[in-house]
Amino acid sequence: MDQQIVNALFIGSIYALFAVGYTLVFGILDILNLAHSAVFMLGAAATYTIAITHGQSFWIAAALGIAISAAMGLVIEHVCLRPLRRRQAPPIAALISTIGLALILVAAVEQGRPGTKLSWLWIDGADSVAFPAGTFPNPIWHVGDLTLEASKVVIVPISIALMLVLGYVMRYTQVGRGLRAVAENPRAARLMGLDVDRMITLTLVISSALGGLAGILFGAALGDISPYIGRDNVEVRGLAVIVLGGMGSIPGAVFGGYLLGVIEVLAAVTFGSGVRGGVAFAALFLMLVLRPQGLFGTRLRERL
Amino acid sequence: MLFRLDDVQRHFGGVHAVDGVSLEVEQGSIQGLIGPNGAGKTTLVNVTTGYTRMQHGRAFLESDELTGLPAHRIAALGVARTFQNIRLFKDLTAVENVLIGMHTRFRDDTPAQLATLPFFRRGEQQRIREARQLLESVGLPESDANRHAATLPYGAQRRLEIARALALRPRLLILDEPAAGMNPSEKQGIRELIERLNADGLTILLIDHDMRLVMGVCKRVAVLNFGKKIADGTPSEVSTDATVIKAYLGTGGEREVASAPGASGVDEETAVEEAAFARRPAREPEKAILDVRDLTVSYGAVVAVRGASFRVAAGEVLALIGANGAGKSTILNTLSGLVRPESGSAVFDGLDLTSAKASSIVRHGLVQVPEGREILARQTVLENLELATWARRDGAATRRDIESVLKRFGILGERRHLSAGSLSGGEQQMLAIARGLLAKPRLLLLDEPSLGLAPQMVDEVFRAIEEIHQDGTTILLVEQNALRALAIADRAYVIETGRILLSGSGDELLHNPAVRRAYLGG
Amino acid sequence: MDFFFSLFSDPVGFWNSHTLLIAQIGINSMLATSMFLVLYSGQLSLAAPGFMAIGAYTSVLMDLHWHTPLPLNIAAGVVVAGVVGFLVGLPVLRLRGVFLAIATIGFIEALRLGVILNVPITGEGLGLKNPHADPLGGVPIVLLSLAVVVFIVWRLTKGRLGNAWSAIRQDELASLSQGINVARYKMIAFVLSALIAAYAGGLEAHLNFFVDPGDSQYGVTRAVQVLTFAVLGGSGFVLGPVVGALIITLLPYIFEAAGDYINILAGAFLILVIVFRPQGIVGRGGLALVRPAWWPRARVSAVSPG
Repeated sequence: MDQQIVNALFIGSIYALFAVGYTLVFGILDILNLAHSAVFMLGAAATYTIAITHGQSFWIAAALGIAISAAMGLVIEHVCLRPLRRRQAPPIAALISTIGLALILVAAVEQGRPGTKLSWLWIDGADSVAFPAGTFPNPIWHVGDLTLEASKVVIVPISIALMLVLGYVMRYTQVGRGLRAVAENPRAARLMGLDVDRMITLTLVISSALGGLAGILFGAALGDISPYIGRDNVEVRGLAVIVLGGMGSIPGAVFGGYLLGVIEVLAAVTFGSGVRGGVAFAALFLMLVLRPQGLFGTRLRERL
Repeated sequence: MLFRLDDVQRHFGGVHAVDGVSLEVEQGSIQGLIGPNGAGKTTLVNVTTGYTRMQHGRAFLESDELTGLPAHRIAALGVARTFQNIRLFKDLTAVENVLIGMHTRFRDDTPAQLATLPFFRRGEQQRIREARQLLESVGLPESDANRHAATLPYGAQRRLEIARALALRPRLLILDEPAAGMNPSEKQGIRELIERLNADGLTILLIDHDMRLVMGVCKRVAVLNFGKKIADGTPSEVSTDATVIKAYLGTGGEREVASAPGASGVDEETAVEEAAFARRPAREPEKAILDVRDLTVSYGAVVAVRGASFRVAAGEVLALIGANGAGKSTILNTLSGLVRPESGSAVFDGLDLTSAKASSIVRHGLVQVPEGREILARQTVLENLELATWARRDGAATRRDIESVLKRFGILGERRHLSAGSLSGGEQQMLAIARGLLAKPRLLLLDEPSLGLAPQMVDEVFRAIEEIHQDGTTILLVEQNALRALAIADRAYVIETGRILLSGSGDELLHNPAVRRAYLGG
Repeated sequence: MDFFFSLFSDPVGFWNSHTLLIAQIGINSMLATSMFLVLYSGQLSLAAPGFMAIGAYTSVLMDLHWHTPLPLNIAAGVVVAGVVGFLVGLPVLRLRGVFLAIATIGFIEALRLGVILNVPITGEGLGLKNPHADPLGGVPIVLLSLAVVVFIVWRLTKGRLGNAWSAIRQDELASLSQGINVARYKMIAFVLSALIAAYAGGLEAHLNFFVDPGDSQYGVTRAVQVLTFAVLGGSGFVLGPVVGALIITLLPYIFEAAGDYINILAGAFLILVIVFRPQGIVGRGGLALVRPAWWPRARVSAVSPG
């Protein structure tokens, strides 16, 4: 049982890290970036490719993986979002353009097979792979009846540290205040001299970097990397997390991530592992019905 | 007694928005409801029309009890309303908007639709005819009937909203600031419309800040302050009530009220003119820090500004007056870099405003205090001010400036750690101006600083503007309160339907007969 | 490009060799119309795949266990979906925008992962075998149904119901102020769209020998696909989503030459269309592809002459 709780913490950390990026973009732009789960996948895939196919050290590969994910944030902003903002498109259009980008990324990795044009990116096609043992140090500790793999354990402090840093930046730095101003009222922010476009780009870059890092940690610790890890693990769970925690709230995303991890584990233990997927959605549904703003969100009252 | 409210209460969190208000509206009368921003007027209306739940109290429309009914039921019973910020169906035409208003009056036609029976068409034609008649009755020209609501000029939109409300064939019509943003001649038109509707027997509840309108048209007036009713009587009783004057009218407002038809007293215009006379008349400046030539700005197919040219000299107060929709705000937004012009030029001290980024324009010293204040409600007063210094890089000087601004606007200093959203309208305006000042502007653009403010607050705001002017900041002021603007301005331009029509010193324009007729009520 | 060539040079042969494709276009178009209904009333509901699943499973299970005739089975599926739609709608329809979208995603995934994959009678993860499927004979029914559904929805949008939906979509509060029972009309649109989706799902199940509970059939992937039909096609007019469904279903054939890279092109296509025409292909202003550039456009001025 305790082993399960430990697992819940690990997976919860991944959910939380992923969801923070999701909620950051929603809070500032009021849109759901549906390419986020593809960036999660890309972080893992790129790191794997650089480390294994191209034989670099894991640490360099991971650093590059994060960099590539962050760069994806730039792509998302310049290709999917900014052109729509310039044309005053309805917010739903951004859903479609990010879906389009996600399609491209997943398909590109899917098509990466030996001999194809994309084999430099990925050579395992639709198959699932894992980092071979020894790619990075991964000692196993035994504490009581718990078996703790270093790669999993390390996720928790990394996630928490990142989120604390982000929280600090948002609350106490000029950059963070600027982001919050843009979130609340982009027009007022512009009139105060803030470069709103640059703030938005920064938001996407940070969000994507976090998403890619979550993917790398997932791939390394849980040993599953394929074009579909985004879709299967976090795409929709990410939604459940930000709904539970409150859309646009960073502490909410963190708390929601761990909460979902725990709920899933408890449900699996009580009802059997088959229900695991459905549980997230039942929780999401209940939260939306009872408290749509989530645990940490604020009620948005429409001004009459 | 057509409409009765008994001890209505509604609070949000700790704030008592409506704190035990009782009101009676006589059948066939026009009842006024006034009070400072945040007094609870709109909340009272929202609660009684069912948009917000009433936590205590009851409401009656003749013998029908409205308490606890959902909004659409209350509307169906005959209570129609317009909204403070116009809520038309933007994508529908004027006629279609009114047709929606008739929704409750005709039955479901699904079977006829599915069978595409022609007999349905006759019903539809009848309804369209009625809709057009309604549009005519509110003074909307025939040519506007098939235009999309979003493309109609501001005055027409307000009238359309009234027509749509009338389509309900209501027993009570609630008008929430129907004349906001209009120049005196447009307001006169609305006033005549209200009187005409009332003459036909319609009971009206009127909320507005324009004292001349309210006192001139209403049979009785109720005054709210901090959620409580502080006065309820005839216009002359209320306007001379000491508590009301203290809370709401201020000295400027008192004069406005006194000059309403049927009242005797000081003529406000004369007093204000005398103040303006003391200024030196100015000419079009040779050396200008802002030079705008032939500016043309369009939104899609709509040309908002046509070939506007004007100049602003350093240190002066320039006013741009004109009715809502004339293009004033568009000009300011173009200067601030939020909107790009189709053609023309605008140069501010060497910087080409038509191509520079909004953030660079602010850094260069051109700062706008936008219409509607646009403060960050969820952050504190202090945080709002700190954000305003974003563009500045001089740390210590910034701290000092923040302190001095907090001292100058005392009320902000007191409330520095409160959320900006909890301030009243006038205080928010002060915050917005303070925020503008912190960006160290060389040219300060003020967009409708008095809009929606109680007369007393308007006094304070214009006092602050004058102080800023004395400090040497150049000011470009956009106002539909022409009287105040012209009184404080060195020079002014009059803009109408996107074109600059007149220019002159504040004093000259104050005496110009055309201007007086159009913007000062004769 | 051979595809289109054969369409025009040999229509009958084309029909015979592409019946399944045509049937799929029909099904997708019906789903798109279901999506149109909810979008037209201002609701971003992604619940269609869930109701499809209900329609599909109910009708196939009835066939397998009770051997009842097909029309009855599909009708039953539709009725069950309507009831479920009403029950789901009750708590969910007061949510706005993205929140409603997420809630409906929650519903379809909870249905799929929680119920379908765990209840033995549905065959769980293995799906259901449907031996009485009729892939070829079903096509005329599909196309006829599509015509009827589109006609009904079109007429509804023209009448009092459609006006109320339009009003609600643009401004719920203003609609309330005009006496429109917003909750009721939203529910009507939601349930109606559930009925259409269930009908399409039931028909689809009978075109295949196998009911597959996978994500691409009844999960988020399908929901996103249906959403794309509507947004790409333009949700202002009934035929918009149908056009969107047509184009997207045909995408693999349009980009035939791309071979394996079809999805990459599809993604790029989506981005390009939505960026250059955010209101959809059949947005306001009619069919963009059909109207030539020199067609006169009305010039509207906001400046009143008076």
